[in-house]
Amino acid sequence: MTTPTTISTTTAAAPASLRLENLGRRIGDRAILDGVNLAVAPGECLALLGPSGCGKSTVLRLIAGLDAPDAGRILLDGDDITERPPARRQVAMVFQSYALYPHLSVARNLSLGMEVRGVPRGERDREVATVLQLLQLAEMGQRRPAELSGGQRQRVALARALLRRPRVFLLDEPMSNLDAQLREELRPQLRAILCGGSAPVVYVTHDQQEAMGIADRIAVLQDGRVQQCGTPQELYQAPANLIVAGFIGRPQINLLPQPDGTVLGLRPEHLVAVTEGGLPVRVLSREWHGASQQLLVASPQGELRWTCAGNLSIGAELRLGWAREHEHRFVQTTGQRC
Amino acid sequence: MSALLLMAPALLLLLAVFVWPLLDYAWLSLQAQSVFTGLQPEPVGLANWQRLLADGRFWQDAGQTLRFAVVSVGLELVLGLGFALLLHQRWRGRGVVRTLTLLPWALPTTVMALGWRWIFNDPNGPINALLQSLGLASVPFLASPQLAWQTTVLADVWKTTPFVALLLLAGLQMIPADLYEAFALEGGSPWQSLWRVTLPLLRPYIFIVLLFRLAQALGVFDLVVVLTGGGPASSTESLAVYAYLNAMRFLDFGYSATVMLGMFVLLLISSAGLLLLQRRVQVRA
Amino acid sequence: MIRNARPTLQRRGLGQALVLGLALSLLFGGWVWARAPITVRVLMPAPFADATAGLVNAFNREHRDLRIAVTRGPFETESVSDLAVSSLLLGNSPYDLLLMDVTWTAKYAAAGWLLPLDAWLGPEPLESLAPGARVGNRIDGQLWRLPLVADMGLLYWRTDLMQAPPHTPADLVSMAQRLQADGKVRWGYVWQGRQYEGLSCVFLEMVEGFGGHWSSTEGNGMGLDQPPAIAAAAWLQNLVAKGVTPAAVGNFAEPQALQSFEAGEAAFMRNWPYAWQELQGPGSAVAGKVGVTTMVAQPGAPHAATQGSWGLSVLHGSRHPAAAVTVLKALTDEASQRQLVREWGYTPTLEALFEDPELVAERPLLPQLRTALDAAVLRPISPGYAQLSDILQRQLSGVIAGGEPPHTAMDQAARASRLLLEANGQGEPA
Repeated sequence: MTTPTTISTTTAAAPASLRLENLGRRIGDRAILDGVNLAVAPGECLALLGPSGCGKSTVLRLIAGLDAPDAGRILLDGDDITERPPARRQVAMVFQSYALYPHLSVARNLSLGMEVRGVPRGERDREVATVLQLLQLAEMGQRRPAELSGGQRQRVALARALLRRPRVFLLDEPMSNLDAQLREELRPQLRAILCGGSAPVVYVTHDQQEAMGIADRIAVLQDGRVQQCGTPQELYQAPANLIVAGFIGRPQINLLPQPDGTVLGLRPEHLVAVTEGGLPVRVLSREWHGASQQLLVASPQGELRWTCAGNLSIGAELRLGWAREHEHRFVQTTGQRC
Repeated sequence: MSALLLMAPALLLLLAVFVWPLLDYAWLSLQAQSVFTGLQPEPVGLANWQRLLADGRFWQDAGQTLRFAVVSVGLELVLGLGFALLLHQRWRGRGVVRTLTLLPWALPTTVMALGWRWIFNDPNGPINALLQSLGLASVPFLASPQLAWQTTVLADVWKTTPFVALLLLAGLQMIPADLYEAFALEGGSPWQSLWRVTLPLLRPYIFIVLLFRLAQALGVFDLVVVLTGGGPASSTESLAVYAYLNAMRFLDFGYSATVMLGMFVLLLISSAGLLLLQRRVQVRA
Repeated sequence: MIRNARPTLQRRGLGQALVLGLALSLLFGGWVWARAPITVRVLMPAPFADATAGLVNAFNREHRDLRIAVTRGPFETESVSDLAVSSLLLGNSPYDLLLMDVTWTAKYAAAGWLLPLDAWLGPEPLESLAPGARVGNRIDGQLWRLPLVADMGLLYWRTDLMQAPPHTPADLVSMAQRLQADGKVRWGYVWQGRQYEGLSCVFLEMVEGFGGHWSSTEGNGMGLDQPPAIAAAAWLQNLVAKGVTPAAVGNFAEPQALQSFEAGEAAFMRNWPYAWQELQGPGSAVAGKVGVTTMVAQPGAPHAATQGSWGLSVLHGSRHPAAAVTVLKALTDEASQRQLVREWGYTPTLEALFEDPELVAERPLLPQLRTALDAAVLRPISPGYAQLSDILQRQLSGVIAGGEPPHTAMDQAARASRLLLEANGQGEPA
């Protein structure tokens, strides 16, 4: 049970403003969340990473109050907000669909929230103008959401979240509707806008690269539990179990079952060609990526992925080795790191 | 040219089912064709139209028909919206209630109207039996002009509210749930959510409902014929009933066509007004 | 190729067989058709279709070359008219004979839908009818129908509550009020006050009883705005105002009035002869306690009974008019009427049957019905009758259910009626 230890060691230092204690959520007989503990410091960006259906969106909806937990508490700056209705939580959420009001102009989309909260008109107009400027949407104020590009819509959704002046920012797969290039462009922008303020940020994604690029820490969620929570480096260098190991790092780690009941994990980028020792392999297929090539090789222990700087052709035979410190070992039965 | 060719079948159909009868009626309205002319058409110029303008009964019926349409459709809209919102929520037994709600609409109008006629019968209907068993005087629901009119509205509302609710429910289901969630997170109350999110997004459906229902209600016929026969004192008579009487009972086809066209003009004005209203509401938003 | 040729041959063989079969069946069919009896199609309201079923079956058994096919129409009188009119408007009516209400005759004749019968029937086909049943069949000198059954408005009274029925409108009200005050009955008098044809029938009896008329072709024209008509309307309005008649009468047709009287709730009822049979039935609280008379009238004025007979007419488009007339004669002859009286309680139209001792023994009501039939008054005979009646119903309904002053309502009814008749060249005779 290494997971709780990981949390305690990495979060003890920061004064958490958002804390989830032992959250549980069931639907019928199925446990969606099963004792989730997480803490996020002010200005910190925590990515919730996991495959679809792992419960990461549920965590977000519980924080927002759009869903109610069956067990556990949610604390915000020490206040227990578990029972508080969403309207009174002062959290902002960027939805995967952006959830912009289709019948209202961009400017009205942004001001509606302030309107229902009773912010005076002059102030509303000022705030909207400022945030439109900040997000380079100044020309878009009078347009309807349907007249905007995907990236512009996302920025409007962000602007709306900013105007809420929330105590927590929640983002649910905000990039999933954008194309790959735009996603990479927007990542630093998103970080600059959201992170480093006084509010914690919880960012849900299924894309490990995005999580590593944007988050201060990553919590890997599967089967309703936090498998590991730590900085991207920690997760990469010391995955707590097979699930985390498989999720972090691309191409995926090679996992080789050993006769002693352990699994040996070797990242493709840590394999090197050696003249003696190591494993004899033969190249099965290759993908050329410019700076490197991605090979699939056959070894006596099974097929291996190998990121290779040289230029090898299919059928080539050689030996592969690795440094001791790059070995990851897991117990085969539990999947936990040895 | 080829576009015109492709549209030709549709245009011909439109011509056949809509324009042609209209032209036929227009021609007929300029003829005296009645039992008094041996059912042969005789051109009379605008005599039928002059008669229409001076026909107190036509204007009484037009007023009644319009009032009936506005009041019953208005009630149906409010009640239908209420039901739609209720049926849109998740609760136990919703599926059964959804089906049950549709029942009045599935019932043929004549059967429904017969049912109401029995329920409101004086003195032997169940409502009056109940009133009498409570020691109260029985109420002549269908024998008083005001009450009979209200009963007709009630029957129409009972029958058609499910239809309105169904259309609005379809509209509600088209509104993504995350819009409500986003609005709630911004601090909006459910009541504000109804006015700021639900109703504006439901607007196209509301206009479709209004258009459909107004057209239907302005043509109300079978309900009136079965429930009240147009009485008492013609207080429940609609324009459609009057046109029918002229054609089938009085065998006065020239004038019946004129009444029909008068009704058509009324319908046209109502729909145009509604569309104009919709445009204004849209521009304002 | 060979394999393909065989089906072609087979197909040709099949085709030949088909052609041959078709030709044979045409031949056979033609032969059958040529020998088939002529079918006379009759449209009747459902109750009459049921009542005449026995007669029709007997006729079909007796005749080889002639068949009667009855279409059982709707129950409601007006719906039967709608059905007939719809089919007639399409040009070729599928019916040869139509069983019609007396008031439809002028309209159908003017529309050119009926065949004049004089050429087909003897010189005096109406001679054998009771005098009250002779009227209404001949319009503008031509005979359009033969009546099958007679119908006339009657005043039903309770023999257990009074010695003799009232004769004047005032008598009726005072007797009714006394019985109501004594708690013998809840209501004094029930009748038909709904806005429909029945209301015109009720009114016609009263306007005659107050010494006036509705619309007459015999010199004095439109009578609706004359004092007797206004008095009749006021009298009906007062019945409700005084509580002699329930307010619900504004929606009463025959069944509602019958239901109330049958339950013993009322002292008097206005209804047609059919009610007698019902009132003697097992569900009736007044069986054996009911008398029948003609409607009340002011001294000196006639006790009137609205005539509402049903008769058969030949439709103009009939392909077998001679056969249709044969059927018409058979269904209205003495044997047929006798059977309808004995088995169904209908009122005959043939004078002889009212005096037939055997029949009177079985139907003791016949003499009273004869009296009422002799007092029969017709509703106006005009192609525009439906509209005239509609105008009257609307105003009367306003008087009874809407509290309209009788004189303004009747003025309007008279004005609208005149306008209609004048506009269509049917102005009142000077």
